[in-house]
Amino acid sequence: MYYYIYDPLLANKKNFNSVAKIETRLTDLGINGKINYLSFLKNIYQVLDEEIKKGLETLVVVGNDKTFIKIVNLVADLGLVVGFIPFGEPNLIAQLLGIPTGEAACDTLSSRIIERLDLGQINNYYFITSLECDGKDVILECDNNYFISPQTKNSRVTISNLDVYDGSIIRPEDGQFDVFIKTGNGGWFKKPGEVSRFNAKRIKITSQGSVPILLKDEERIIKTPAEVRIIPKKIKIIVGKNRQLK
Amino acid sequence: MFKSNSTGHSHETDTVIGPSVKLEGDFVTEGNIIIDGIVSGEIKTARNLKVGAGSKIFANVSAENALVAGEIQGNVRITNRLELTSSAKVFGDIKTGILAMAAGAMLSGKCQVGDEKSRSPKIDFSRQEKIELSPLEEIDRKNKIKK
Repeated sequence: MYYYIYDPLLANKKNFNSVAKIETRLTDLGINGKINYLSFLKNIYQVLDEEIKKGLETLVVVGNDKTFIKIVNLVADLGLVVGFIPFGEPNLIAQLLGIPTGEAACDTLSSRIIERLDLGQINNYYFITSLECDGKDVILECDNNYFISPQTKNSRVTISNLDVYDGSIIRPEDGQFDVFIKTGNGGWFKKPGEVSRFNAKRIKITSQGSVPILLKDEERIIKTPAEVRIIPKKIKIIVGKNRQLK
Repeated sequence: MFKSNSTGHSHETDTVIGPSVKLEGDFVTEGNIIIDGIVSGEIKTARNLKVGAGSKIFANVSAENALVAGEIQGNVRITNRLELTSSAKVFGDIKTGILAMAAGAMLSGKCQVGDEKSRSPKIDFSRQEKIELSPLEEIDRKNKIKK
């Protein structure tokens, strides 16, 4: 049984034709199902909980990366298989998962290649992509073994699970975060920025004052101190055959 | 040993500790490490280690291969090849399979190069039995001594 969650963007009249094509293709493939629009007024978690009791196994997100990320955070503990039909920009996650845009995504959904991917967790809140914070006065305690601290004021810490950083793909299947510390901006007449990188499974972020940590693509801020850990193989996602994960 | 691409570091490199970053504690990994910053604690890797010029390591170091251009204060244990460039400074004991040391490199400590197993067995002459000579051979030997 399939259940579809649409981004509110799809209700726009100018998207009517594109949505109709996708729905027709889903019907042709025999994988159509109930549709619900993502909204602040609805408690999606409660709706899905009721649907799971009725036999829901596959949840499909139709929208852009932001829609997908919101839903992944909500359903991480529900044990559902999550599908994705990318619609609109940004759609970097869909590209990494090898899911084409438009009607072709319906065929990917139908082929049901399921991968178990890692999720990050910060203070009991799940995330699939990356976290960012200012590196000034920040200390990272990694895997209860070692401490890493940037020594310059102008630095940026990025903790990634699924992302693209400086052209390299961060894969969410290795059971660890890729941590980057970029120092210096590399602006006009300056040296290019230097990047330190390492892997860790559990990171405690502490600082002298309170430093905001930004969850990328979510516009959500969590303040230090915070504990970040990787949850290996936490979520089942339907991916395309051209996925860039391995 | 270390291949780098046009952007400076290879994506195959698992860990890079840049010049503006300080690492404290025990750092154990299975991948390659490039250190250009300050490290105190212990470093262990099953693969390659590169210590850049200007970096300072106050730690015991263990790796398969190592290229050192910076300063290490601690013992260095390399299973295969250790290369010290002209700017390298090592204050500690070294144990390695192969050592390549450039002119100008500084080393203060004991140095053991090569494998113990490759050493030839020591011959114990005290246990060798006396060879008995025939009477004719005995006369020849005495004549030789007289001459």
